[in-house]
Amino acid sequence: MNQSNIVISDYQKDILQELMNIAFGNATADLTNIIDIHIELSVPDIELLAIRELPEYISETIDTYSETVIINQKFLGDFKGSGLFVFPSSSGHDLSALFEESGFECSQLSGSSLKIEIVMEIGNILIGACVGKISELLNTSVIYSPPQAIFVKENKYDSLVNLFDSSQSVIVMKTRFQQKKGEGFILIITDQDSLDWLKDALDKFMEAYQ
Amino acid sequence: MIFAQIFDMISVGIVVIDKELNVEKWNRWMETHSKIASENIIGHSIFEHFPQLETKWFIRSCKSVFAFGNFLFFSQKLHGYIFPFMNSFTFCTEFSCMQQNASMGPLRDENNQINHLYIMVNDVTEIASYEKKLIEINTRDPLTEVYNRRFLSNRLQEEIERFKRYGRPFSIILQDIDHFKKINDTYGHICGDFILKKFAHLNSERLRSVDIYTRYGGEEFCCILPETRLESAYKLAEDLRVTIEKQLFEFEGNKFNITMSQGAVEITLGVSNAEQLLKSADELLYEAKNTGRNKIAARITEM
Repeated sequence: MNQSNIVISDYQKDILQELMNIAFGNATADLTNIIDIHIELSVPDIELLAIRELPEYISETIDTYSETVIINQKFLGDFKGSGLFVFPSSSGHDLSALFEESGFECSQLSGSSLKIEIVMEIGNILIGACVGKISELLNTSVIYSPPQAIFVKENKYDSLVNLFDSSQSVIVMKTRFQQKKGEGFILIITDQDSLDWLKDALDKFMEAYQ
Repeated sequence: MIFAQIFDMISVGIVVIDKELNVEKWNRWMETHSKIASENIIGHSIFEHFPQLETKWFIRSCKSVFAFGNFLFFSQKLHGYIFPFMNSFTFCTEFSCMQQNASMGPLRDENNQINHLYIMVNDVTEIASYEKKLIEINTRDPLTEVYNRRFLSNRLQEEIERFKRYGRPFSIILQDIDHFKKINDTYGHICGDFILKKFAHLNSERLRSVDIYTRYGGEEFCCILPETRLESAYKLAEDLRVTIEKQLFEFEGNKFNITMSQGAVEITLGVSNAEQLLKSADELLYEAKNTGRNKIAARITEM
């Protein structure tokens, strides 16, 4: 893994950790207070990885489920990358808990197609909340591409690598979310192009407090 | 000046809404399809003209854009449409309203504050219509127009998962037309096809709307009966048996009666996949065949 050009200092990593604590704290509060989605986001975890290490990282992070739905949404701007909403859809982790409060009124679809569309919209909101709050603190704004659903069987995440440039290294910001019966992960993966910008933005963020 | 023209020339609906959810901009595409002139809607709440939008998800979506600067995407698959407009594609008769993909996002002022949001609406009726036709082709049997075996396998697996998760019972009935080969050999394959179509129609019209009727293959058909215990499935099978037995089939001057044999099973915990369940229904069906035909063999599956 070529880390030489992307290494962020421990100090910058600490700032990023702190920034994410604030961002996700704000996101959780706003999700509950403003848009009536009750979820808990854990203290975020930050990892520096090569893309090819990503499948292993995800399968180690997530318990084995028979099927997992991943919603991938790319965001563009100074801060650039992908948000992944990883949601196990096995019987033990019932998606419907997440939907009961979603308030969707839909008659056109049934069964699995309906669930995927709903997970896609919920994922869209959660990824947007997390990425949006980080962007806000870093004083920038991003635009998003439409969400895509990826199905993963038996924790085989290798297909994920194809979504990214495999030569790249990334910073993975992980948070576990919990909602009644359901839980999963949100991973925010930065694009290598935005790492230099991110380092600058983190320094500026700290300057405001010094 | 040029940008203002794009706003009205583009073949996409564009609406700008403020924080109070009052309409601030309404482009010509929206005027054309809604038949509401912009001067009649600007300054008014979006709910005044579109009360059906006053739902939990729409209000939450707007709040989410104002709170997070989110970009939200509303798929036609989930919502059908956001604004109820007349379908402008006259050949897509399966949809009464224009099918739409829509997106929503933030508009920031010079201080980077989000005080407005936009909604963009795309007409995807034509694509949705093609997609619907492809799904039909993929899931229906072309001769009898009931669901095909691929659909049966998928749906059965979904019902099994539902049973495992919630413990909701369901039963299946496997049917086979007695002596069908003889009909084919005596009256020809065109008559055989006529029988299959009529047989499928007679059976499917007696089922509830939640039941699924499928062609399993050849002259075999399968009913999936959600929320149905074996006792009720047996009663239904008997009702269907009598219906078929009494029906006089008439093809090119030939009149004849047919009968069918059936195997009915209810799901139990030991069943893990569709094949197992179909296999036990098939065994019962052959039990019915081997003990005289025109009858039903039913049992709770024990694996």
